[in-house]
Amino acid sequence: MMRRVLRVFGASDRAIGRLLITCMTVGFIALLAAGVAAVWTTVRNQSHTDMVNHTYTVKLAIAHTQTLIEQGETARRGFLLTGDGDYRHNHDIAASETWPQLARIARLTADNPVQRRNVAVLRPLVSDLFGHRVHTIALVAAGKSNDALRDFTAEKTARRMYHIRAVLKTMGDEETRLLALRDSEQRNTVRAFYGVLALAGLLLVLVAFLSIATVLRYTRDLGASRDQLRDFAGSLEDLVAARTVDLTRANEEVQRFAYIVSHDLRSPLVNVMGFTAELETATATISELIDRAEAEAPGIVTEDARLAAREDLPEAIGFIRTSTQKMDRLINAILKLSRQGRRVITPEPLDTAALAVTIRDSLQHLLDDRGAELIVEQPMVGIVNDRLAVEQIFSNLIENAVKYLDPKRPGRIVVRGRREGVRAVFEIEDNGRGIAASDHTRIFDLFRRSGTQDQPGEGIGLAHVRALAYRLGGTIDVSSELGRGSTFRVNLPLAYVEPKTKRSEREPA
Amino acid sequence: MSDHQSVSIVMIEDDEGHARLIEKNIRRAGILNAITHFTDGTTALDYLFNHADGPARSGPALVLLDLNLPDMSGTDILARIKSTAALKRTPVVVLTTTDDKVEIQRCYDLGCNVYITKPVNYESFAQAIRQLGLFLSVIQVPEIEDD
Repeated sequence: MMRRVLRVFGASDRAIGRLLITCMTVGFIALLAAGVAAVWTTVRNQSHTDMVNHTYTVKLAIAHTQTLIEQGETARRGFLLTGDGDYRHNHDIAASETWPQLARIARLTADNPVQRRNVAVLRPLVSDLFGHRVHTIALVAAGKSNDALRDFTAEKTARRMYHIRAVLKTMGDEETRLLALRDSEQRNTVRAFYGVLALAGLLLVLVAFLSIATVLRYTRDLGASRDQLRDFAGSLEDLVAARTVDLTRANEEVQRFAYIVSHDLRSPLVNVMGFTAELETATATISELIDRAEAEAPGIVTEDARLAAREDLPEAIGFIRTSTQKMDRLINAILKLSRQGRRVITPEPLDTAALAVTIRDSLQHLLDDRGAELIVEQPMVGIVNDRLAVEQIFSNLIENAVKYLDPKRPGRIVVRGRREGVRAVFEIEDNGRGIAASDHTRIFDLFRRSGTQDQPGEGIGLAHVRALAYRLGGTIDVSSELGRGSTFRVNLPLAYVEPKTKRSEREPA
Repeated sequence: MSDHQSVSIVMIEDDEGHARLIEKNIRRAGILNAITHFTDGTTALDYLFNHADGPARSGPALVLLDLNLPDMSGTDILARIKSTAALKRTPVVVLTTTDDKVEIQRCYDLGCNVYITKPVNYESFAQAIRQLGLFLSVIQVPEIEDD
């Protein structure tokens, strides 16, 4: 359930991340487009302004040219009428300035074939006109005013001036047309710019809206899943509590079962042992009878009867006795284990190092016998737990370590404890004979032992230790290598916490 | 001892073997009182309360009680005996395998006079029964009073 939620979350996280990045990218692209459009528009504007300037320059040049031509004409006519040298002079100046002006127009309009054509038309006309003017003026200067007038009239009929004016007007119109064209181009550019700007703005708004919506939804989802998680945590606690109740109940059931079984097994055992004792007494009586019979009437004592009374019966009784005694020990062990679970745990602060030292002192003679040393590494972590139970765990493990030392090398046992989060981890390490890997789990089972059976014991100690560790809210495991040594690791809570459920009333067996 | 000869012993014990061993060892202790043996709670109660020779109607008695019975718990019988006027002064010796502290307390609370745990070890068992026999030989059992 939890994993699914997390998975969904992860996926949507990635999707939202992608979406946001896309939005940002689109936003940036829109901004970039707007920027590019602005630059482009500015460049276009600049070139347009240049073109407009150019057009005005051309128009100005045309107007100037016309003025010069008209001035020359006026001056000529003045000179023609008055013969005043000033007019002539004026005419000469106007005439001399006209050609450069024309050349300038030709230069300026070199890129426009229409104007070029117009200039080409204009040049011979102006040239002709100017030729006539020079001629007329020369006639006047020579005093031939009448010839000059005639020539002037003839020239007027040729309507050269009209032509020139018409061409110049055409040129001016051409430039006006170009101006209008450029203006409309300019408007288009501006319109395009506004279009791009509007598009970019729209995109930005859209992206912003999308981003905000996404973030809002994400936040809402986050809130929802936080609530969900809180609910999960709540239900998880309930689940754990329920499991703990189940576990406690199962544990109690097992213990009650063990208790009942051990008690009910005791009953027949009382009989077996009782009647074996009776049998023994009877055997003694019969044996005595055989002795007497042998002494008084050896003939009636058969070999079989003698064997039965003196060997078979005592042997059978001996086996029954040792077996029942062993069975009694086993039943007592089960009983002890079941009682352990029923004991009330009374947590108190414990100095584990001092506890280990006390155990070392109590085992000192045994350690000396075996030439072994026991090192308690100071400091050890302090815990709050049941003194008796912790003592039993430690002494059981340390006694085992001493018991199963390797006689080939001097024994060295180290006891240490450290804190790991809210847990305390204790290690009892030895360099003894070790435990085969296949037995690492088995040794914690009741009545199971490992290795050479050269030490007394029933296989109860470690089962007992494990039951105690569980009872104290802890665990136990072992790492060991055959022939190298073993390390038993006990993991206990720093402070014992009573399981939430109330332990059920004890049931009599 | 003549006074005690009349005191009959009612043994409620479902295990025949235990019953036999108890009887043997009581006899070995020199107790010769009549022993009436029951292997279940129902017939034992019937005898105690209703039978013409039962302790409720005639003569003083002493009850040897095992707690693990097939049809009911020994503590129920103990409670019945101790809550009945005619029988409440009858000494009850609980003789059982249960050595649970809570159970022992409960029996004494109900009015049990002696609680003995059956030791598995036979020598201890025989010893305990013989001591019980000695105890029985000096115990004063009240006569039935009609009150």
